Amino acid sequence: MADTSANSPVVLRGRHDFPEISGRIGSIVLNGRLPRHFWTAFFLCFLLVLLLLYSITYLIAVGVGAYGINMPVVWGTMISNFVWWIGIGHAGTLISAVLLLLRQPWRASINRFAEAMTLFAVAMAGLFPILHLGRPWFFYWLLPLPNVHMHWPQWRSPLVWDFAAIATYATVSLLFWYMGLLPDLAVLRDRARSRPAQLFYGILALGWRGSAHHWARYQVVYFLLAALATPLVVSVHSIVSLDFTFAITPGYHSTIFPPYFVAGALLSGFAMVLTIAIPLRWAFSVEDLITLRHMDNAAKLMIAAGMVVAYGYVSEAFFAWYSGEPYERAMMVQRAIGPYAPMFWTMLSLNCGVLQLLWFTRVRRNMPLLFAIAIAINVGMWIERYIIVVTGPSRDYLPSAWGQQSLTWLDFGILFGSVGTFFALVFLFIRILPAITIFEVEELAEEEGKLK
Amino acid sequence: MSLYGLMAVFADPEALVEAARGMRQRGYRRIDAFSPFPMKELDGILEIPKTRLPWVVLAGGIAGAALVYALIWYSVEVDYPINVGGRPLHSWPPFVVIAFEAGILGAAFAGFLGVLAANGLPRYYHPVFNAESFSYARGGKFYLLIEAADPRYRKGVTRGQLTRLGAETVEEIKA
Repeated sequence: MADTSANSPVVLRGRHDFPEISGRIGSIVLNGRLPRHFWTAFFLCFLLVLLLLYSITYLIAVGVGAYGINMPVVWGTMISNFVWWIGIGHAGTLISAVLLLLRQPWRASINRFAEAMTLFAVAMAGLFPILHLGRPWFFYWLLPLPNVHMHWPQWRSPLVWDFAAIATYATVSLLFWYMGLLPDLAVLRDRARSRPAQLFYGILALGWRGSAHHWARYQVVYFLLAALATPLVVSVHSIVSLDFTFAITPGYHSTIFPPYFVAGALLSGFAMVLTIAIPLRWAFSVEDLITLRHMDNAAKLMIAAGMVVAYGYVSEAFFAWYSGEPYERAMMVQRAIGPYAPMFWTMLSLNCGVLQLLWFTRVRRNMPLLFAIAIAINVGMWIERYIIVVTGPSRDYLPSAWGQQSLTWLDFGILFGSVGTFFALVFLFIRILPAITIFEVEELAEEEGKLK
Repeated sequence: MSLYGLMAVFADPEALVEAARGMRQRGYRRIDAFSPFPMKELDGILEIPKTRLPWVVLAGGIAGAALVYALIWYSVEVDYPINVGGRPLHSWPPFVVIAFEAGILGAAFAGFLGVLAANGLPRYYHPVFNAESFSYARGGKFYLLIEAADPRYRKGVTRGQLTRLGAETVEEIKA
């Protein structure tokens, strides 16, 4: 690596050969050589999956009032969970697509699980707007389907844009992910010893044989998909922010929202990448494939995104004052000293305060500390979304009707249920598919002359 | 069972590139190379034509955006026009948002399905899988295939040439 300074850690540590790389990554899946606590952790996540199912059933049976929303705050944790999860997904696309376009070699060993993280996060995110509908079984009314009602969706509504954006994002992420998996599925097909595994991976590999003619087309299209995913990811979170900015509610109606939301998405997304990667590299002893360099770079991107988010906070406050609009100003003051003040200051101290620790190289390379910071940022970013969603409506244009959203057990049941379901899916993914891209790590080892 | 071709195995990518170049220089045309990861050098040596798939992706994107925009236009102008205080029915700025997303979706599908179609995948049977040596199980070796249909193919001669170019093993594969 010519462009790295002498003291920065390497992308790939030690010397490798092809049987070793494919063997180590493939055997996690095929031999089921999982660390002792893998299934214990999966079991705990599975309990949370049950909690999610119970909570959703309760919510549908009782109605949306069960999770503490009421006039004037009719947007609650379903919306903040949605924004939080969709944001987490975005870092995965950034790693896999943007870093591919920029030809950054350090993406190779983390892009696969980052993409999987995107898929599962989008799957979780997609639940919430539907649950928020109150009558979730009518969600298909958002689609232009020929039905007996003879109605059309309201094309001018950000909620319909949202539906289009999330559906497109989920589909394109899935295509991109599957395309990246094809060569690795062929490796697993050839490695598999048992007939069911051979059939499973063989069918999924679609008969990939690594022909030079195939690779030539594959690479062109893979780059094109990455080039498509990049504007898509920006458009998705911008559209999510338009759900807010199209309303004239104080605190929602702001032009800073699209870039501010995209930066927030990257901050929380990279925090989630670290939350998964740090235990993953430790548990599966792949510290030489996912190196300190990856962790260091992700932490640097966190601080870059975090500073844009901090600018967003400042800009929001400034324009509330500069607008001269008494309700905008009152909302901003109430956010800092009103009923949500403890959450607001927690958010600031986590997202702007704790984040600053990442300026120090020693902190970025201390894995337990970095993990703790990543968790803190995840929490901080959830609070940020909650603050944005509830403080506006709680202090809108009719002071006599000011009120609050009360967090109930159901809010947390659904939030923690979705967190558990997300991690359960991540565990299943690690068990079933190669979590590190075999062919790209081999290519990297070849390019960097790290072959034995 | 007819003979499909000869499969030569090479230990490292440089040997494959050298062998592919050597066989091209000897006049072989019906050859293909197989590698566990993409190798740019092979494109020039095997004279792989520049793929037209980017145009397919562009067409898919335009088609997706145009179809969805047309659907919206039809719904607001023709099928269900609602006059809301005299505002224009065809208020294009909000429609562009959904058309953009549809364009990305169309382009992604065109690219994904296009690359599969152009590569002839899924194809679960292919003669190269008959080769004992052809496997990516151990990370993969680097393979060069000379088809028996090549006009310059001579059983003993071709095998000898491949061996001299550094092939670890050369294997006859059945169609």
